[in-house]
Amino acid sequence: MTFSDWLTATQWLFLLYFIGINSGYVMLNLLSLGSLRKYLEEHSLDDLPRSYSGFEPPVSVLVPAYNEEATIASSVRSMLQLNYPEFEIIVINDGSKDGTLAALQREFALVPFPEAYWQRIAVRTVRGIYRSTLHPSLRVIDKENGGKADALNTGINASRYPLFCGVDADSILERESLKRVVEPFLENPLTIASGGTVRIANGCQVSSGFLISVGLPKNPLALLQIIEYLRAFLFGRLGWSPLNAVLIISGAFGVFRKESVIKAGGYRHDTIGEDMELVVRLHRIHRLQRIPYRITFVPDPICWTEAPESLRVLKSQRVRWQRGLSESLTLNLKLLFHPRGGAPGWLAFPFMALFEWAGPLIEVTGYGFMMAGFALGVISAEAFITFMVIVFGFGFMLSVSSLLLEELSFHIYPKPRHLAILSIMVIVENLGYRQLNSLWRLWGLVLWAFGSKGNWGEMTRTASWQSKS
Amino acid sequence: MPGDNLTLPPSDPLLALVFWTGIGVIILSLFMLATVFALRIGLVLKQRREQRFMARWQPLFAQCVDSVPERLPPIAQADHYTFLKLLSHYHESLRGSATHNLNLLAIATGMDVVARDMLMHSNMRARMIAVATLGHLGDKTRWNELRLLVDDPSPLLSLAAMRALLEIDAAASLAWLVTVIGAREDWPLAKVAAILEDIGPDRVALPLVAAAEAAFENAPRQLPRLLRLLEVAHSDRVVPAVRRILQNTNDEQVIVAGLRLMRDPRDIGMVRGFAAHSGWIVRVGAARALGSIGMPEDRKLLTNMLGDPSWWVRYHAARALVALPFVKIDELRKIRAVLPDRFAADMLGQAIAEHQSK
Repeated sequence: MTFSDWLTATQWLFLLYFIGINSGYVMLNLLSLGSLRKYLEEHSLDDLPRSYSGFEPPVSVLVPAYNEEATIASSVRSMLQLNYPEFEIIVINDGSKDGTLAALQREFALVPFPEAYWQRIAVRTVRGIYRSTLHPSLRVIDKENGGKADALNTGINASRYPLFCGVDADSILERESLKRVVEPFLENPLTIASGGTVRIANGCQVSSGFLISVGLPKNPLALLQIIEYLRAFLFGRLGWSPLNAVLIISGAFGVFRKESVIKAGGYRHDTIGEDMELVVRLHRIHRLQRIPYRITFVPDPICWTEAPESLRVLKSQRVRWQRGLSESLTLNLKLLFHPRGGAPGWLAFPFMALFEWAGPLIEVTGYGFMMAGFALGVISAEAFITFMVIVFGFGFMLSVSSLLLEELSFHIYPKPRHLAILSIMVIVENLGYRQLNSLWRLWGLVLWAFGSKGNWGEMTRTASWQSKS
Repeated sequence: MPGDNLTLPPSDPLLALVFWTGIGVIILSLFMLATVFALRIGLVLKQRREQRFMARWQPLFAQCVDSVPERLPPIAQADHYTFLKLLSHYHESLRGSATHNLNLLAIATGMDVVARDMLMHSNMRARMIAVATLGHLGDKTRWNELRLLVDDPSPLLSLAAMRALLEIDAAASLAWLVTVIGAREDWPLAKVAAILEDIGPDRVALPLVAAAEAAFENAPRQLPRLLRLLEVAHSDRVVPAVRRILQNTNDEQVIVAGLRLMRDPRDIGMVRGFAAHSGWIVRVGAARALGSIGMPEDRKLLTNMLGDPSWWVRYHAARALVALPFVKIDELRKIRAVLPDRFAADMLGQAIAEHQSK
């Protein structure tokens, strides 16, 4: 094989990879379109006034908190107003260094509670359990710092109800959020986990922890992330749902059947992406042990979160996500192509491994190879331009298709001006932002490969919308 | 310089194919983007139309609380769905004679005919609203079609059809539908219970009891589900049947569902028997039942259950002890003080604290 043959073969390999990844996403897109249409038609009467029967499963809402002094009280107040017949809220103060516990004690008149604590999952030492004298359904657990997974496990141990809902302390919910995300458990008794769409809160107006009106942020990075989130949730997850192959349920808002999670061992505290790892593990255990189950995704926008507005924070988030993905897949490698793996083992896992996990490495190498080859004159201008056209074309199509899905379904962004801005973003996103993301994710992969240690994943939050409320 | 000899499309046929695929994808994307804007324009026009419709019709619907308006504007075909949705909204919100007036309003505008036609539509959204409307109207003309829809694979559409049939003629459909309720495990229990509650606890009691007894003989798998639904019935007629079933079953799920219905102190002996069952979930059920029908002498049994190996049995035994109306907090504290088992004492302490914080 001559150098020229090798060069041509490599060019085609990268080209085919890019075509392959994008064709895969197009397939997911088509699957999403079908399931979204079915979902919207079947649930077209959901907004009619209906009463609860009392047969709805009660839910324990678990709120792990680490250094959330400034926002924890308003977050809990908003959760207390959720529209659901029976739920309890358990805030787990994971050894915060600030005044998180004091803020909770002050706002909710906490008193020590003599709980007969049952440690079903091993966790760090619990220092105290408190109960609100204002809201009997609110308890606060103060524990030694052990990370988010450890905090969630502590909450699971203390929870009273068969379902639990993990909520990030800074999540912005809608009053109907819990009702919507629990719906799959009512509709199918085999459901063990359910997640919903997370949207970007930057630019929105929030009052007392609830979303009042939807808007777009001025920050271009946050704008670009809106398109990313649309793509990730509207077809990245919805597409896998009809195949029972959803591998990610966001830690920001997801409901799980408690006994299934306890049997699986709870959240792993030695991973960064504990939310994804748990879902992949649940698939692995249920598939390999032939236990019927369903993990599902509801497309309704039920949870809003703040997106990073600076490159530094965004980079740190993406690096963390990539490391979490790497851990989640490698810890559950047995699922991959297992004879009993089903759609998760034979489709979703390989797809995720090839395009999301190894993707950054191949993409960055591909870009680098093509650009270097072109600059050195060993790759023809035709080949280089063809590569750029196909990469941009598919990227553009996937971004537009997520906007199209949004417009066909929820059209959350109300003003035509919003649509015009987002349309510009679907083009801009492909001109550097996605490539930069690939670079950051590659760095995450490198850090994972060299085994550097993770932490709670602190993010600098501006909460700019809060001041407007 | 690279690119000095640039020829586009590339001369290599394979490369040219990829190039044109890329160009095609970009053109397709631009077309999709145009579709997004077209959809938005359509949405804005639709919303404006709905606003105008609502401004005109909402006062007329509100007037139906007292009487049917005499002069009614015509309804364009494009507004049919909006009208039916508004009709359902008011139906779900109002009770009594007002719903009768709503039906007269629908008939006066010819929307009953529209709903019948929409039932045959292939679009699920249209069929959902048609089913709901025909149920609210009590329209019997599509009875057979609705019966067929009860067997539809979509749980939501079939459940809506079940509700419509019950609204149209509960007496004629209930006996058959309760057997379907037992069999259709894909129907959410919470939604079925809400529908049965709307029909009325007295009306559903006997058919449900009959279905539960039949299931006990022929379809035991359906029994726990039917027993759970008997909680809706609130009827004395339920107890004898449940008693018979509990006396003749070893199925833990059936026992647990049955124990939830034990509200007659005459059954205390049977409940006490289940307190020693090998299944912890049955012992939880027994502890809960003792909390509502327990006698003074059950204090000892519940105190013993505080030492159960299962956390959940201990928890419910403690809650039952606290719930007994004749046991005072001071007495519970004394019991707690002499408990030799630390876990039992902790659990009772928690139950007392929970009770006091209510």
